[in-house]
Amino acid sequence: MAEKKYKKSDIKLAFWLILPAVVAIAITAFIPLFKTIIDSFFKFTLIPDFPREFVGINNYIDLFKDSRFVESFWNTMYFTVFTVFLEFIIGLVTAVILNASFKLRGIVRAAILIPWAVPTAISSQMWRWMYNDQAGIISNILYTLGWIEPGTPILGTPGYAMNAIVAVDVWKTTPFVALLLLAGLQLIPSELYEAARIDGASKWKQFTTITLPILKPTIAVTLIFRTLDALRVFDIVYIMTGGALGTETLSVYNRTILMDRIFSPRGWYGYGSAISVVIFLIIGVFSVIYIKTMKLKID
Amino acid sequence: MNKKKLYFTFEKIYLSWGCGYMKKLLLFVTLLSFFISSFAVTITMTAGAVGKELELTNIQIQRFMEENPDINVQILPMPNSSTARHDLYVTYLASGTPDPVVLMLDVVWPAEFAPFLVDLKPDYDYFGFDGFLEGTIKSNVVDDKIVAAPWFTDAGFMYYRKDLLEKYGYDAPNTWNELYNIAKDISENEFIDGFVWQGAKYEGLTCDVMEFVHSFGGEIIDNGKVVVDNAENYDKTVAALKFMKKLIDDGVTPKGVTTYMEEEARRQFQNGNAVFMRNWPYAWPLANASDSPVKGKVGIVPVPMGDNGRHSATLGGWNLGINKNSSKAQIDAAKKLVKYLTAYDQQVERATYAGQNPTMKSAYSDAKIKEEAPFVVDLYDVFISAEPRPVTAVYSEVSDAIQRYTYGVLTGQYKAEDAVTRMAKELKQIVGN
Repeated sequence: MAEKKYKKSDIKLAFWLILPAVVAIAITAFIPLFKTIIDSFFKFTLIPDFPREFVGINNYIDLFKDSRFVESFWNTMYFTVFTVFLEFIIGLVTAVILNASFKLRGIVRAAILIPWAVPTAISSQMWRWMYNDQAGIISNILYTLGWIEPGTPILGTPGYAMNAIVAVDVWKTTPFVALLLLAGLQLIPSELYEAARIDGASKWKQFTTITLPILKPTIAVTLIFRTLDALRVFDIVYIMTGGALGTETLSVYNRTILMDRIFSPRGWYGYGSAISVVIFLIIGVFSVIYIKTMKLKID
Repeated sequence: MNKKKLYFTFEKIYLSWGCGYMKKLLLFVTLLSFFISSFAVTITMTAGAVGKELELTNIQIQRFMEENPDINVQILPMPNSSTARHDLYVTYLASGTPDPVVLMLDVVWPAEFAPFLVDLKPDYDYFGFDGFLEGTIKSNVVDDKIVAAPWFTDAGFMYYRKDLLEKYGYDAPNTWNELYNIAKDISENEFIDGFVWQGAKYEGLTCDVMEFVHSFGGEIIDNGKVVVDNAENYDKTVAALKFMKKLIDDGVTPKGVTTYMEEEARRQFQNGNAVFMRNWPYAWPLANASDSPVKGKVGIVPVPMGDNGRHSATLGGWNLGINKNSSKAQIDAAKKLVKYLTAYDQQVERATYAGQNPTMKSAYSDAKIKEEAPFVVDLYDVFISAEPRPVTAVYSEVSDAIQRYTYGVLTGQYKAEDAVTRMAKELKQIVGN
């Protein structure tokens, strides 16, 4: 697209119209971010008059010696890879199905959004009960099917706990993914499929050569959204297991450091800030990778 | 309304407004109340937000304001979960705001929040701290300061099914071995669970672990020093953890206990699906409520002891602290309020109305409590000897370490010996000795 020339007065007006938004973002996002980065180079705590000791990058060095941090990093990766993969595959299939025309399509489209509409804190608590060893419906189905030994607490068994949490996230967020992809699918003109049919292309061929390429930008945006969300997962884990049994993610560990130890005389606040910065960097790296590989234009 | 009554009403109104003296008095009172309210102090107080607890707090505060027209109290209802309250307080206090003025503090927070709280020690006699249960005061002593006043207290108890123990010819257990045998026998014959407690990884696990360790005669932290690694405490702590694991392995305690908090255990017990339950006193009125399947079939005894051990109950409960950042006038008003809420009459009322147990010794011999909540009086010994969790500014780190290692034992990730060794090492790093 050729660059447009704007009138000087228009530019001036635009500046004043954009300014409040920029100020708001600066106050709510950039200043706290900047302050967090500075905090991460100090050892201190939020007790009044507590000496603030400059420690350089020591907090970051300590992070990599902290086995709990390293473990929570890998837990987060596990969670992210599995939830995003499953949500994408199931979401894509759902979107393709919902794109076809059938009776009551409107109702079905609205109905699948229910899991996504329930607040995460509530659905996590709901699932916690469904996983309960005595009254939980999921536990009882699995016991009856003989897949796991009766009486085994799903959220209290190493190996099961994290997968149980992944399942909840997939249940909750797949509708959102499906919705985004559905919006992308509807942009594809039906003439393209018509032409492909006349040329004798199979359904699969149509899917790989028409649907996927046109859907690519939508897929990229969906994956970015989901990955960034998954990387900072907090509420599901915090409510369901509190981070026990290899389910502790970076955000859950970060909360422990920042909130539980906020007034600890051992001075954890800088260390907690360092974790926050690392989470920020990880998310930044993922975004850049996606944008580069998908050749996405952000404008 | 008949004519005669109507006449009297008019006459009354005429009299009260017509009489010069009354009119002047009324005017004076109105002006005075305006005058006072312009000087009135407003203080905010955090409080529990549900059920009878909030109802009673409102009633008592209303009364307090009538007695002290120059003080206006506003209640800030708090979330139910202790952790959520903690996170809220942290943001209030770290930001240095003068509100809330009066903070309702969990029994393990005073040390952590001490830098933000007013020292009440100079007012020792004003609050009558001499008459309080020793443990409840001790849990508020930080660096020789008393940073909060005990409001109501809690302790861990053993609930049992009276009817089932009678049926099988058992007395209430005094030791863990007795409990183990009774629970195993009855649960196998009745096809229910033997003994439920709190085994999820959260603060409640620390409370339960402390009771097990103490009842086996062990100690984790004593007077601010980590003692769990000296030979005697080490063996006893290992024995306690092994016993907890054994309860699960032998099926006396359901495997699911590693996901149970108070409510999961209570539901299990109250539905008649368990012989024994370790829980706080709040479960008592619920288990005996009219819709409870085990109504009238429940007994309550102190937590059993191990070999050569003792009965131990972990101290729970809530305290009232005053925010240091509040103004002088607010702090003075807050002291009055705290004194009022922790006074004898209000404590007795709280025990009978909301089931929250007094922190004042003399309240336990009160006739009204004896009549309406006799079990509170019966278990006075447990309340008086309830043991605080370590009072230290790094408590949350201490508890976090205890939870992680003991949970590892319960879920079979660590051997009890290794867990205690590693826990001792980590606790020493945290406490710094």
